[in-house]
Amino acid sequence: MEFNNKRIKLGNGIYLNMIHTDKFKSNLLSYYFIRPLNREEVTMNSLVPLVLKRGTKDINTSIEIEKEFESLCGANYSSSVNKRGERHVIRFTVEWANGQYLSDTSLNYRVIDLLRSIIYDPYTENGAFKKEYVEQEKENHKIRIESKINDKRSYAINRCIEEMCKYENFSIYPLGYVEDLGTIDENNLYIQYKKLLDTSQIEIFYVGNFDEDIESYLVNKNKIDRENVVDIKRENIIVSVKQKNLINEKLDVNQGKIVIGYRTGIPFEDKLYNGLLIANDILGGGPNSKLFNNVREKESLAYYVSSTIIKYKSIMLVDAGIEFANYHKTVDIINKQLEELKAGNFTEDDIEISKKAIKTSTESIRDSIFLISEFFLSQILAKDSRNLEGMISDFDKVTREDIIKAASNITIDTIYFMNGEK
Amino acid sequence: MILNTIVNDRINEKILSHELDSGLKIFFMPKPGFVKKYAVFTTNYGSIDNEFIPIGEDKPLEVPEGIAHFLEHKLFEEEEANIFDKFSKLGAYVNASTSFNQTSYLFYTTEYFYECLELLVRFVQSPFLTDENVEKEKGIIAQEIKMYEDNPKWRVFFNCLKAMYVNHPIKIDIAGTVDSINTITKELLYKAYNTFYHPSNMVLFIVGDLSFEKIIETVKKAEKKYEKTDLTVERIFKNEPKKINQKIIEEKMFVSTPLFYIGFKDYNLGIEGKEGVKKDIITNMILDLLFTPSSEFFNELYNEGLIDSNFGAYYTGKKTYGHSLIIGQSDEPEKIYEKVIELFGKSPEENLKVEDFERLKKKNLGNFLMGFNSVEFIANNFVDLYFDKFNLLDYLDVLESINFEDLIQRYKEHFTTDNMVLSIVRPT
Repeated sequence: MEFNNKRIKLGNGIYLNMIHTDKFKSNLLSYYFIRPLNREEVTMNSLVPLVLKRGTKDINTSIEIEKEFESLCGANYSSSVNKRGERHVIRFTVEWANGQYLSDTSLNYRVIDLLRSIIYDPYTENGAFKKEYVEQEKENHKIRIESKINDKRSYAINRCIEEMCKYENFSIYPLGYVEDLGTIDENNLYIQYKKLLDTSQIEIFYVGNFDEDIESYLVNKNKIDRENVVDIKRENIIVSVKQKNLINEKLDVNQGKIVIGYRTGIPFEDKLYNGLLIANDILGGGPNSKLFNNVREKESLAYYVSSTIIKYKSIMLVDAGIEFANYHKTVDIINKQLEELKAGNFTEDDIEISKKAIKTSTESIRDSIFLISEFFLSQILAKDSRNLEGMISDFDKVTREDIIKAASNITIDTIYFMNGEK
Repeated sequence: MILNTIVNDRINEKILSHELDSGLKIFFMPKPGFVKKYAVFTTNYGSIDNEFIPIGEDKPLEVPEGIAHFLEHKLFEEEEANIFDKFSKLGAYVNASTSFNQTSYLFYTTEYFYECLELLVRFVQSPFLTDENVEKEKGIIAQEIKMYEDNPKWRVFFNCLKAMYVNHPIKIDIAGTVDSINTITKELLYKAYNTFYHPSNMVLFIVGDLSFEKIIETVKKAEKKYEKTDLTVERIFKNEPKKINQKIIEEKMFVSTPLFYIGFKDYNLGIEGKEGVKKDIITNMILDLLFTPSSEFFNELYNEGLIDSNFGAYYTGKKTYGHSLIIGQSDEPEKIYEKVIELFGKSPEENLKVEDFERLKKKNLGNFLMGFNSVEFIANNFVDLYFDKFNLLDYLDVLESINFEDLIQRYKEHFTTDNMVLSIVRPT
């Protein structure tokens, strides 16, 4: 079963992706603005969705916007900014109940109009954003950025990436920087917003039930004449590590958090990348992985321990929460397990298990309206034309030799340790 | 075979049910076209059940804090092979969780569902505990506890419960403490297991594109033989006074901005089934009207820079406890506390508006409907409400039966200053 999808070009670098399915009780509409990830833009880009939410040309306050969404049978609006490799992706989404269950046929159109007005028709004063809104959102955003230390696990991961990728744009924090907020005002932010509209690649997704009228409505509404969009370079993949980094950061915490960053040197376009994903899964993917069994089950050193691959940068991260005193012991076990993997010390069962785990999570994408849109976006960003079946069948073809070959490229780059030892 | 079917035409969903001779009840929601197949096997046993009369005994036993959660970890232990491996070989994702009230074992998969179902029933029904494997788990759980100790959101939440409750075990951390879990033994775990894992104290819920006949057949084949019993587990809850434990509770942690919880302890307890759900929805509607981004109060505080978009509130309650929680981060948590007192100092008629209430009802309807997109939402909510003697599919009927007047009554009864507490986690 494959998706019934259509990709329509609406202008330079602007596409509408229509994915038809009647299995959900809702529909989803998302706009993705794709920017280069760099220090100059990142803080402003993150601020834009917050300011847009404050008021539109017709609905001047956020309380009225909220009420409007509630009246649309509780349509759920959300926005996010994150990084995918060295791209900064700004998303605006609304998911709403399928009108057919509520005998409301105009619902779809009203939701589309409201989301579009938030993105394209903001409330302005003297050709810029409203000063008060920008100042308030700057203050809010400051708190948001600062509170990244509240989640210690993701903070540790971010710190490891920051240190490891010091000289790469990938180290940039996707929400931006407090010290860069100061120079932002209603005028320069509005200019940046206009730039987002005029020069970003824009991907629009509609997932759910629709007819030709909805489709042509979306086509007509989103058609745009514009110049060429900003060109984003493929990320640089670092293959060899010149110097190993060790970061020991003293913080007032109860649990030590270790994050090890590795360079794999295998770009996702390479066929061997599938082997890398399976190698990663055998090492630290799930509860049958080498790390789970050896760090947690055998030695009782950690509650969580796992490894993941960062696609666009071909980086592998291993992380675990441990006693401070067990730092060396844990690092040794992790190293040893990676060596075992490289030496081919894993079974046919291990390979099968990893292939199945990847297959199950890949297939499960079909059951989530949001993940369907994210899947298509990710294929577009990677210029990957495979469908879900194609991806699964490529995983199936991975051999033991591929896994060993992929693993042999994994080189340690940075060890970060969050240490609370007094 | 006796099959019961509950149909809700409006949302186009149905639930089938069947009771086995052992007393185990199985519920199934067909989801044609869905790839994921999900099963959850749940016992009506959570962290609050820490005092009970063990099966076959006559005296109450108080067990170490965190034992239900410890048991959840240990059921994955098996004599021969590793249970994780077995599920993994079938391409299934298996996990478990312990809440205040329940312990759930679940898996989802896209194929080999019936084989996985058989595994699920078998592993939950065959504990394999040894002194060694109990000992081994202590280090792992200690790290889980430490992870939560570093989680300010968890700390500020539990401190709030500690401030509200004098005796009720809801104030106990679900995983226990490093000290309490060190006193857990194989014998205590078996006592807890034998008392709470009888099929009549459990429920099996399945959702997906599957055959109910085949589900029943599989469970029958896999289940351990139990005699059906009408006996219910004797749980002991110390008398919880109608007062709070302490007004303000504070802790210092490594955080950026102070986090706060404002709690209102519910004194209107002992209600289950439809009435319980009704109380739950009514209370949540009041909180939504007052504290969501569509409320005056939210916008006033937001514009003053006192709160950010994470501010919100919800009510949660069971038969023996209940509380409303207002949550956020702010440089001035005390000021928000004062503003909330001021807000509830006004009459309900002044704060709540009929048109907002009508709009909120529409929103709840839409959100409930959208919940049925997710097999996890369906399974988790069904099971949770099942033990409260309520069928999830009746939710819309209860929602629609609620009047504006119900909110006014509840507002007066529940939101007072003497059942109100404040918990703050401040930066060090």
